[in-house]
Formats: sequence, structure tokens, C-alpha cells
Amino acid sequence: MALSKCPGCAAALPEEESNFCPECGRALGNLERPRAAAQGNGWIEFVDKAWDFFASTRVAVVLIALLAVASILGSLVEQEHLYQDWRPPQLYYPDRYGEFWGNLYLRLGLTHAYTSVWFSTLVLLVVVSLIICSFHRLVPLHRMLTRPQVWKLAQFIRRQDVVHEAAGTLDEMEQKLKKRGYKVLRERECLYADRGRISRYGAYIIHIGLLIVAFSAVGKAVPAWNQTRDVWIQDGQTVKVPDTTFAITNHKFTMELYPTGMPARFATDASIVRDGQEVKRQTVEVNKPLSYEGWEVYQTSWREEPGIARLKVTNEGGFPVANLAIDLRQPEQEYRITDQVKMVISAYYHDFTVDPQSKQPANASFEIRNPVIMADFVGTEGKTVGRAALMLLNKEASYYEGPFALSVETVDTRWYTALKLHKDKTVPWMYFGLGVVMLGMMITFFLFHWQVWVREEQGVLLVGARAYKNKFGLKQDLKRLLGIVDGEVTANI
Amino acid sequence: MTQEMLITASAWLLGLAFVGYVASTLLYGAGVIGSRISHGARFAKTGAWATNAQLAGVVFHFLAILARWQGAGHWPTSNMYEFIGFMAFTSMLAFQVIIRMYRLNVLGALVGPVGVFLMAYSYVFPPKIQPLVPALKSYWLPLHVSLAALGEGFFAVAFGAALLYLLRVRGLELAALDRAEADAAAALAATGSEGGGVMAGASAVVSTRWERKWGTRGLEVLFYAVAVMVGFTLLALVFRYSGFQWLFGGTTYHLPPLIGPQGADIGEKGYLLGFIPMPLFGAPDWMRGKHMNTMLYSLVFGGFLYWAVRRFIAKGQPIGDVLARKVSGDPELLDEISYRAVAIGYPVFTLGGLIFAMLWAKEAWGDYWFWDPKETWALIAWLVYSAYLHVRITHGWEGRRSAWIAVLGFGVILFTLVGVNLLIVGVHSYAGGDM
Repeated sequence: MALSKCPGCAAALPEEESNFCPECGRALGNLERPRAAAQGNGWIEFVDKAWDFFASTRVAVVLIALLAVASILGSLVEQEHLYQDWRPPQLYYPDRYGEFWGNLYLRLGLTHAYTSVWFSTLVLLVVVSLIICSFHRLVPLHRMLTRPQVWKLAQFIRRQDVVHEAAGTLDEMEQKLKKRGYKVLRERECLYADRGRISRYGAYIIHIGLLIVAFSAVGKAVPAWNQTRDVWIQDGQTVKVPDTTFAITNHKFTMELYPTGMPARFATDASIVRDGQEVKRQTVEVNKPLSYEGWEVYQTSWREEPGIARLKVTNEGGFPVANLAIDLRQPEQEYRITDQVKMVISAYYHDFTVDPQSKQPANASFEIRNPVIMADFVGTEGKTVGRAALMLLNKEASYYEGPFALSVETVDTRWYTALKLHKDKTVPWMYFGLGVVMLGMMITFFLFHWQVWVREEQGVLLVGARAYKNKFGLKQDLKRLLGIVDGEVTANI
Repeated sequence: MTQEMLITASAWLLGLAFVGYVASTLLYGAGVIGSRISHGARFAKTGAWATNAQLAGVVFHFLAILARWQGAGHWPTSNMYEFIGFMAFTSMLAFQVIIRMYRLNVLGALVGPVGVFLMAYSYVFPPKIQPLVPALKSYWLPLHVSLAALGEGFFAVAFGAALLYLLRVRGLELAALDRAEADAAAALAATGSEGGGVMAGASAVVSTRWERKWGTRGLEVLFYAVAVMVGFTLLALVFRYSGFQWLFGGTTYHLPPLIGPQGADIGEKGYLLGFIPMPLFGAPDWMRGKHMNTMLYSLVFGGFLYWAVRRFIAKGQPIGDVLARKVSGDPELLDEISYRAVAIGYPVFTLGGLIFAMLWAKEAWGDYWFWDPKETWALIAWLVYSAYLHVRITHGWEGRRSAWIAVLGFGVILFTLVGVNLLIVGVHSYAGGDM
């Protein structure tokens, strides 16, 4: 379809094909592409229609709005990667939102909204619109900016934002404009000058940046480009990182608290170990990750558990006979008490409970929470001389028979640090894309494209200027340039 | 100087800033009304005084921020009290930039109250200095939060200008309709027959019937929303400083608990005014009872405020129409101001609110994007302003439609800052408020 009026200035457009308005210079889009060949060819007609559809700013605005609405939906339902529960989604959501709604959310993909089919489709449509919209306008815009129409009628010049009549010659005018950084073109009795032309390209630079951002974000889906590992390391231990060539040592995990009990600092004194050699040592803290060969090591969590229990064995007279150190993660089979007597661990529970069904002692979890030791004291001939049972975190709850008594001196705490390793090859691209977006924004919003037309008529210069943005600044600039005092300039602002 | 002295000084400076903002808002209002009544003969300088009073407020506020920074040992944008106050500061700062470009005093009468409201709202939150949790200990805290707030400050100005534009366009529309009616009446009196004057006059107005109808309703909805927020702030301040509190299942209510926590028994906390059981019912599982309680009060009290203004000040007319007949100004200039504010705020918000947030998230949590509700809503706000910039250059959609998007955008910003904390829980929840 051909436009009869310019959407920018409402001026009537000429009959012949044009890519931009001859009056105001607004890019009209390549609406009059030769489409004769398309007649009767269904495929080309379809492509043409699709192109026109995506080239429309209205469609772009609607797509942006839909993307916003889709994002809102995802923020209202707790997302699968954010909920704090051990249960899988199929069990968690019906419980969280009720049987009906939970299952509905699962089915609609609202529980993983941002990786769902409908969200991805929408992002794809936005990307297509971004590419086509930009291309559709960039080509005619570039033509208009690099090959502007210099010769203009007086009535055109009089319609501009700032209009002034000055004495002088075109040559003088050209010198003045050039001095202020304008690019000048001449044709017969007319002159065209502009500055800040690049500002008009800014929007397209933003769009290119956004495309890089979008592709980087999609690139995260490639497993080899985006890897994570989680490791739990006990103080003083070294743990090999799965599927890598190095290991990490946790020399010491430190947690500092404020007097109120709020956490103040989490830090792990960590080393990267390769082939038994330390290659890097750094304190990993929240906000201070360690970098090594593309991997970033983050402090994510910590855990403490009862570590080594120090026990005292006393005889009938209450005199200490022996001190024992029992590693609660892995107790020994037996401990030496005296030359004649040893203590044999008959049962060890790291989280003691009595199973309600079988009424038998059992472990309540996989963690060391309520360690209980049951031991026999065995003499030289394999004869049991006494027995003891001890709840290690509850000094009162001990039971013994025979000559030896067990008591807990101290239970050390064993600290674990949780480190997350992340290797994301898309990050540099993402940052580059964001940089391009920001650059484009600076160019778009903080540089201004100003155009000036001058026409010499009987020794008088008719000056008309137009600001694509910041008319106020243009007015000030021209006042300085032409040396006019306030009130003399006619501004159609 | 000790740290306590600095913090006390900061509180006093903040009070002075508040006084400055209130004074400037009153002066802007007085200037606009005064010069209108006197037909421009008097009150010519009032606008300049208002701008200076506001500038003084901004300077005091800046000093207050510096004093609190030194006193607390960290940049004061770490909790809701500090952040909302900071946003009042950036809004006023942004307004100072814009007013010096355009010198349109009537804008001050609209944006000034936004700053005053934000300041008052910040006093709802406990002003205690809290030490920083490890996740917030980063140079990104001042960079990300301050810059995001600065962008949002410009959005606040854009909101004011867009609202003024909508009112002004509505005013022109009403004037045209009045004229059309008068013409029709004159025609009727002259010819004694049914004239087509009303239709002819009305068609001279560019707006469609749909736009007239929903434009008016939309403005009323907006004023109701404002009344709810003002009502909430008033209630919260009154009850907080009068020291009421009800302990209820681990949470402290400052307002009489009409909605209890989940599973609360009816009337378990006694009776309000002797006959309303507290609570009336327990909250459903998807929302915290305390927040729902606060919301109920705000909606009801906001409704009361709206009704009172409409009944006694607007004399039963829609508030928007009454205001629309009072405001003046060139709609094109207002649209330009709104655009200009967005054009400054948008890149600043993109850098501070999104890009710096991504860089910080990468450093603190190991990934630049989590789709955490706060992040998501910042993105939604960004999308809304992106839509604004595109709508404004779309033929046929500029004008009212783009102005409404600028108004909506600021609503999304407020929801991102406040609503997300109250209604949705995410990794930003440590920044959560209380009420």
C-alpha cells in the first residue's frame, strides 16, 4: 500500500516511489518495493505479508506488551528454580496451591514460565520483529541521512522549528556552520547542514545490542557453554570437582556474626589444587568469587555438624582411665581403654530415634543430629565386662552397667563450606551486548540530530532548522551561531 | 563527631528536607492558583520561590544522606526506610533538572506531592540502622541502587507531566464540548428547531467517544489508587507513632487485626470498638494475613478519602474533570516534558536498574539473571517504558495513549519497589518492609 500522506508531518507525498518524506525527511519504510513478481506467487506474497506485519511498530508495541504480561504471570507463581523444598514439582505444586490450581499451573508451564514454550515463542516473535523493524527503517533512513535533499523551497524552510532571516552570503554561512561542527552540503542557491547525525542510528545500535543479549541468553541453554558444579568441603579437606581437572581445598570456613546474631561475613580460605600442586589460593566470600580458568567459585552456603566427640572413661572409683576421641562421621570398630579392656562399638546412630512402627532404634535422617553410641567393654578373653549407651549431645542421658562409665567432655563442631562453581561462556557476549545497548542509548538520548536549511534569496539568507530532538538546544545553538538576540528568532516550537 | 551524632544530625536534616519539599509544593500550588485568580497580575515570583525551596530541600536531603552514610558506615540504601527516602530525593533532584529546562510551575504542583508522599511513606518504615548482610556488602550497593533510584526519579517526573497532559487534554475536550453545547443551545434558541449543533461541535474534538468515556474513568481509577496509597500512609503513620500493636502468631500488627494469620480463630484478639471481632477471618494460604489486613484498611480508607474529596471538594463531579477545568498549559509542551524525563530516566534506569543489577547478581550469586520477582518486575517496568518510546513514535497512538503508558510505567515502578516486597517473596526479600 502506498501512503498518500506523511505520517510525520502530514504533507502530501509525491506520486512516485519514495523512501522518505521529501518534506520532513521522515523514513517511510520501504513500502513500495517492486512486488510485481509477487503476483500469483503465494510464497512470496506470504513472505511479503509477514514482512509487513513484523515491520509495523504497532505489532512491536503489542509484542512488548505481551512479553510484559507473560513476565507478570511468571512472577506470580513461585518458579521451579526458586522454591525452597526438596519435593519435585509434581508433588510440591499441588500441595502449595491446592490440587486443582497446582496441577493447572504445572500443565500451563507457569511453574517454569520463563523457559516455557509460550514464553520462548513470544521472545522469538519479539526478536523477529526487532530484526525486521530495524532493517525496514534503517535502510531508507541511512539513504536519507547520507544523500539528503539539499535544494528546498522557501515554504519548506519557513515551516521548520526555528526560522530566521539573516544578511550575509552562503559562503559565510557555510564557514560558520562548519566551525560549529555541522556537515555542510551545497546545491545552487541552497545549503544543507546537519550535526549529530549518528544520533539517528542510536535506536538501531540498541536493537543490535538487544539481539546480542537475546542470543547470549539463548546460548545458556547449550550445556557445554553453561556448566555448574556444587561442592561441599569440610574444613581442611580437598575435594575433586567432578568432570574437571582440578580440586578445591577448604583450609578454613569462617562465619562472623553481628552482636544481634545476624550474619556479617561468610568466607572460605580456599585453594585450587591441580596434580597435587596448589595453583591459586584466595579467600572466597559472598560478593568476592574466585576465578580460575573460566570457572568462578562462589560462596553459597555452609553447614555445621558435630565432629569429634571427646569422651572420658572412668572406673568404679570415679578415676579417669582413658580419654577417647570418636569421629562421629566414621567411628572406629573398637577403642583401647586399658591394656586389658577395649571398648567395642556395638551400635552407632547418627540421628537416633525409635521407629514408631517397629519400636526399634533407627536413624531419623542422613545427618548427624542426635548421635548415640552403644558400646560393650570387652576384657582380654573376649568376655564382656560392662556396657554403656550415650547420647552425645545430651550429657544427662547416659546409661551404663559394669565397672566403666562414659561421659562426654566436649563435642567439636565440624564446618563445611558449600561452593558453587560456574562456567558460563556466554557471559562475555552478554556483557558485550549490554555494552552495545548502553552505547546505543547514550547516542540516542544524549546526542541530537539537528538539520539546517539555508536558501539565498535576493541577498537575504532564509534559515530554517529542525531538531529531531531537543528543539530548545537547537534554538540556543542557532542564536549563538547567527548572533541573534532574544525575540528576533521565530520559533515554531 | 561520633556516629550517633551524625545519625541524629541526619534525621534533623531529613526533617528540614521534608519541610522544604512541603513548602515548595504549597508554594507551587499557591503560585498556580494565585496567578490564575489574579489573571497573571500577581504571584509571578512564587514559582521561583517554590523551586528554590525545593532546591534547599534537595541540598538538605543530600547532606542527610551523607551524614547517615558516615554514621552508619554504609551507603544508606539498604532498607525500605532508607530507600524510599532516597527515591524522594532522586525524584526531587530529577524535577530540579527538568524544571530548570522548562520552567513550568504547574508541573511542580503535581510532582511536588510525589516527593512529599514518598518522604511521608518512608517514615512508615523503622528508621533503625541495620548492619549489612554479606550479600549487600559490595560497591554495587551504592551504584546499583542509587542509579536505579535516579532513573525512577525521572520516571516520577514523567508521570507528573503525563498526568498533567491527560488533565489538560481532558480540559480542552470539556471546553470544546461546552462550546458545542452552547452553540447548540444558541442554534436552538435562534431557529426553535432541533439543531445538529451538538454533533457538529463534538466532532470538532479530536478524541473518540471511547477515549472520552474511558479517559475520564481511567483518571478516577488513578485518583482512587492515589487515595489508597495516601490513606495507607496516613493510617500507618498514625498507628505506628501511637504505639498500637497486636502480637499475633509471631507477627506484630500495628493496625487492628481484622484479618488474622492463616488458621486464626474468629474474635480471638477481642473486639474492635466493642463489636467487630478481631480477626474477622484468617488469611488464605497464598498471602500473609498481616499484609492482607493492611491492604483491606488501605482500600477502605482510600475509598473513603476518594469519596470525601469527590463529595465535598469536587461537588460530586469526577475529580479528574474538576481538575481538568483548572489546569492550563500547552499539551504539546507537557508531552515533550514527559518524553524528555523518560528519555533521561530510561538509559539511567537501564544502566542502574538492570545492567548493574545483572553485574552484581553475577558477582554475588553466580548468575546474572534469576527471574527473581524483583528482577522480573524491573524488566517489566523497562518493557513498559520501551513500549512508551515506541508508542510515542507510532502514528495515531501518540498523545493520550502514550501518556497513559507513562502513568502506568510509574505504577509498575512503585509496584516493583513496594508491592513485590509485600506480596511476592524472592531473593530481594531482605529488603522487605514492615507494616
